Amino acid sequence: MTELLVGPFNRVEGDLEIRLTLAEGQVAAAQVNSPLFRGFEAMLLGKDPRDALTLTPRICGICSISQSIAAARALGAAWGVAPSPQGQRVAALIHAVENLCDHITHFNLFFMPDFARPVYAGRSWHGRAVQRFTAMEGGAQRAAVSARAQILHIVGLLAGKWPHTLAVQPGGVTKAPTERDRLRILVSLRAFRRYLEEVVLGARVEDFAALADVPALMCWDRGDAGLFLEIAADLNLAGLGPSQGRYLSFGAYPLEEGPAWAGGLWQGGAAPFDAGRIREDLSHAWMLGAAAHPAQGETRPDEEMRDAAYSWCKAPRYDGQVFEVGALPRQVVAGHPLARVLAALPGGGGVLGRVAGRLLEMALTQLLLEDLAQAIDPRERFMLQAEPTREGEGAGLVEAARGALGHWLRIERGRIANYQIIAPTTWNFSPRDAEGTPGAVEAALVGAPVGPGEDTPIAVQHIVRSFDPCMVCTVH
Amino acid sequence: MAQIETFYDVMRRQGITRRSFMKYCSLTAAALGLGPSFVPKIAHAMETKPRTPVIWVHGLECTCCSESFIRSAHPLAKDVVLSMISLDYDDTLMAAAGHAAEAAFEETIQKYHGNYILAVEGNPPLNEDGMFCITGGKPFVEKLKHAAEGAKAIISWGACASYGCVQAASPNPTRATPVHKVILDKPIIKVPGCPPIAEVMTGVITYMLTFDRLPELDRQGRPAMFYSQRIHDKCYRRPHFDAGQFVEAWDDEYAKKGYCLYKMGCKGPTTYNACSTVRWNEGVSFPIQSGHGCIGCSEDGFWDQGSFYDRLTNIKQFGVEANADKVGMAAAGVVGGAVAVHAAVSALKRAQKKTQDKVEG
Repeated sequence: MTELLVGPFNRVEGDLEIRLTLAEGQVAAAQVNSPLFRGFEAMLLGKDPRDALTLTPRICGICSISQSIAAARALGAAWGVAPSPQGQRVAALIHAVENLCDHITHFNLFFMPDFARPVYAGRSWHGRAVQRFTAMEGGAQRAAVSARAQILHIVGLLAGKWPHTLAVQPGGVTKAPTERDRLRILVSLRAFRRYLEEVVLGARVEDFAALADVPALMCWDRGDAGLFLEIAADLNLAGLGPSQGRYLSFGAYPLEEGPAWAGGLWQGGAAPFDAGRIREDLSHAWMLGAAAHPAQGETRPDEEMRDAAYSWCKAPRYDGQVFEVGALPRQVVAGHPLARVLAALPGGGGVLGRVAGRLLEMALTQLLLEDLAQAIDPRERFMLQAEPTREGEGAGLVEAARGALGHWLRIERGRIANYQIIAPTTWNFSPRDAEGTPGAVEAALVGAPVGPGEDTPIAVQHIVRSFDPCMVCTVH
Repeated sequence: MAQIETFYDVMRRQGITRRSFMKYCSLTAAALGLGPSFVPKIAHAMETKPRTPVIWVHGLECTCCSESFIRSAHPLAKDVVLSMISLDYDDTLMAAAGHAAEAAFEETIQKYHGNYILAVEGNPPLNEDGMFCITGGKPFVEKLKHAAEGAKAIISWGACASYGCVQAASPNPTRATPVHKVILDKPIIKVPGCPPIAEVMTGVITYMLTFDRLPELDRQGRPAMFYSQRIHDKCYRRPHFDAGQFVEAWDDEYAKKGYCLYKMGCKGPTTYNACSTVRWNEGVSFPIQSGHGCIGCSEDGFWDQGSFYDRLTNIKQFGVEANADKVGMAAAGVVGGAVAVHAAVSALKRAQKKTQDKVEG
């Protein structure tokens, strides 16, 4: 048995370290540490509740709109205010643009460059991977960065700036788009569709969105998606980094007619979801206090950094069990046929399942965005007046690109009395709980092959990045 | 020191044509407010000067600055700048990981000692010996000090590195501390904003690489070319302010008419930045244009000035509880005065804020 400390990880958002115990050329156990702590929950105490709209997005520069919308929904719930239907639609639109951009960034800038590494020289696809994905130089990356900048015009137009927009409020959005704005948004979406169809998917978005079984997926040989699937088949990424098969989604993009993608639980079958059954376990986190539901929880760092703990990250559990969140879990819960068959593979298709889930969601999100933009009605109201209350309690549960994000807020005498946040990566990168059960990534790493002399094992890199960690959100 | 290739060599190697290169030089001159006569000078400098290496490190942060940077407007400028600085070391974007990354970091520092620019995103937290931000097994403050030692200049990207930003918000749980309180012996240029505008970031770095010196700075150490005017000075809603026409509530009829957001807490009158001229996301818009007031994210202490939705006149430190909101015209004068007060108060406050001044690694 030997120990290996892997980190810092590059091409992840924030800092991350993983301690591996190795035996017989494999990972026998893993401990994930998030070494960055800022204490947002402590800063929010005593502040004007509306300030959460400005402070919480700054937890993360990649998914700031998710944070912003979660804060607006939590405030709205505490005040008893819901957004206007059109305001909700515009919020969903800018949120979906951000989530789509996150998937594009992850695939091109964070995940794929690992296949351009010299360790894969000699594989039939290596030359193409180098040409497309060499870090900061590959052709795919330049195309992705340009396409991303271009589609973010929509957020610029509707929300003033990105990252860290201010436009989303409990009653809706501050910007009432005009007919001209609507057309500009549709033009931006058409350009992005061209990028997806010419570069990423190599075929019509509808065709990829309609995939319904694994053989059809693995036959997809067009675009950068095709290159990934070829690599995935060659390296058997489906067998790498297995999932525990328990998926959770809060449900994405609430609209007047219901969420675009319904939320819930999936453990081999759909199961009812009750947010009241979430607990944050602190047994292996440098945090003080007892395990609690986030509405009663607190965030007090253990400055002694006691030996029994090894991370700043709390361990969220649902009914005491580990759940995985992200694009694949979201689509599995929402019922997409391809996502369901991927989840039915042993280990949920591991790295392949997670990345294919994201590719699938790129296509689905493009289609959703087009519908959302078409249905903007400039004659309607985009914001309802919201009267702040002096007392109140509420939760804002949304789906960020990386999965379920929740804000829990309590207002007393017009000030924030408690504010707790569980980010998607908190679920996936959680440490062990009091039962000793490892978190989703810790479990996925067990069994990963480690070659002789590998000090940053390539398999570990693939598995960790397949979760698209956002460490600055994890511990905030 | 080993011979370092020129910017021009690097660009050509990256497949950038001569024509694109000249176009880039013209764009740069225009972006920096220089006349056409500077174009050949810029071109000459880039053809003959050795490339300036850049090391980009991340401390306690949210990465929004990087996100902004890689979205800069002119695809050409972004491509050229990215290939030009080629970010010899960047935590977030680089290929290497783990020990290889640490080795690359060390090698860059040694190889270009005394000659590189250190770009810092985020800041070091100093509480508990820096344990709240550990990279490569060491507190970030140590990495920062180590990298700063051989740097010829430092860029503090964004409000975090420049001032502390929201993670330094009361009670500042980790004692997040801006870079200039930790590194005292190097020229530091602050490029505040949360995040800074992409074009401002590329403009600043291009200037430094092209002319091999810091641009002209204002009193607070910000590049004057982008931070010398208030948002309010060039705001397209300014006529409504002068006419006393204000939005009174979100989405009221005045909001639809695009009236001034001053009463909704807009901090444009006291915020120095280029948002109302350069705008955001490739010049599409900026927060005021989307119907929300400015929160003053490029000013020191913006995160702890009372609620973001308080009207400016309610902010106690201005000492002007005057009813500017009742008389639009009078407000112009009052707010103008308030700016001067604000500047003085911030300077004092900064002097007192010793708590925020330590180092971490």
